[in-house]
Amino acid sequence: MNDVVLKISLQELCQYEGLTEQLIVDVVSYGITEPTEGHSVADWVFDTSSVYWLQKAARLYHDLDIDWVAVAMVIDLLQQKEALEERNRIIEQQLNRLLE
Amino acid sequence: MEFKDYYALLGVEPDADNKTIKTAYRKLARKYHPDVNPDSGAEDKFKEVAEAYEVLKDAGRRAEYDELFRYGGSRDNGFEAPPDWRSSAGFGSATAEQFDGDFSDFFTSMFGAGGSHFHQQQSVLRGQDAEIEMPVFLEETLTDIPKLVEYVIPMVENGQRYDRKKSLKVKIPMGVTDGERIRLKGQGGAGQGGSPSGDLYLHIRLVPHPLFDVEGHNLVVTVPLAPWEAALGTKIAIPTLAGAINLTIAPNSQSGRKLRIKGKGLRSKSSCGDLYALLKVVVPATSNDDVKDLWKALSEKASFDPRAEWSKPS
Repeated sequence: MNDVVLKISLQELCQYEGLTEQLIVDVVSYGITEPTEGHSVADWVFDTSSVYWLQKAARLYHDLDIDWVAVAMVIDLLQQKEALEERNRIIEQQLNRLLE
Repeated sequence: MEFKDYYALLGVEPDADNKTIKTAYRKLARKYHPDVNPDSGAEDKFKEVAEAYEVLKDAGRRAEYDELFRYGGSRDNGFEAPPDWRSSAGFGSATAEQFDGDFSDFFTSMFGAGGSHFHQQQSVLRGQDAEIEMPVFLEETLTDIPKLVEYVIPMVENGQRYDRKKSLKVKIPMGVTDGERIRLKGQGGAGQGGSPSGDLYLHIRLVPHPLFDVEGHNLVVTVPLAPWEAALGTKIAIPTLAGAINLTIAPNSQSGRKLRIKGKGLRSKSSCGDLYALLKVVVPATSNDDVKDLWKALSEKASFDPRAEWSKPS
């Protein structure tokens, strides 16, 4: 049985995901994602779900040549969009149950 | 090999200045970036645009490209670099064999693979991370559950690319939520030359349930009631994810009312969500004469105007 991991450390992110410590510090300081554990930067540990958003943020920053404020806004809106789509799906499902 | 007209890809003239090129790239990148444009085809378009910009933003590379542009751009069919062509910009082709192929052959033949900014910071040798969708039934989230994961991973061996089927037994932890991503260390693409494999991410998707709708950690079950059940009140058995429980419906319950059943929702790591019973009054589709008479008697006895709101003086 393979054990799943729900955490990823800063070191692992740098080593495996091709992200730099500075980039992760930037992403955190602009509130795009935040560590779940660790008081100092070196001890930071992230939820594995945040890897997806960290990588998205890194790509947008490099590829679109935009600053972190803009990246943070884009990510925020993308997350809001995902949440709304999910909400919409739930409401549609419930509406169908009431109408059927 | 196809000659790439980088100027046409960016929609600029061959004598465009750096500022024009940058503006054109930014506009197209914003439009086609796969992180903001989910359309199929957007990613390929973005890669082309990024490749064009990678060459044209750099004075040295642009000068080299312009030379080829004059040489090859005028030909109709196919493109081959002049036989004595060698990049002088210092981008050797030493890394070409390890390169993952984000840029076209045309680019690689000119500048080698070292110019790709996609992999600038990433070790080229480590295996790629992979992500797959993992459907999970609501019932399965209540406990740790073993699941068989089957997926296809692209491999490279002796320069040959092929897909390999893998299957793994994985323990999905209790309380996973829709959209969550969980990580399996070293189960992604294989590394090259003894380098570590990438990771596999499972993107959890809760399978829609025939009875229960999910709202965060809470569940909603729609409970059909006969009009007389709603009016008189009743006791009914309500399904939950773990067996049925009895629920008392109070007299005069309205359609759309939600009754909370504590702790019968989905589990989270620390607590338990609730189950909501959503009442829905349904009228029989047909009724015989006896029943019709009873409805009629009721309509005469009950002084109830459901549209009283409409006749209120404004």
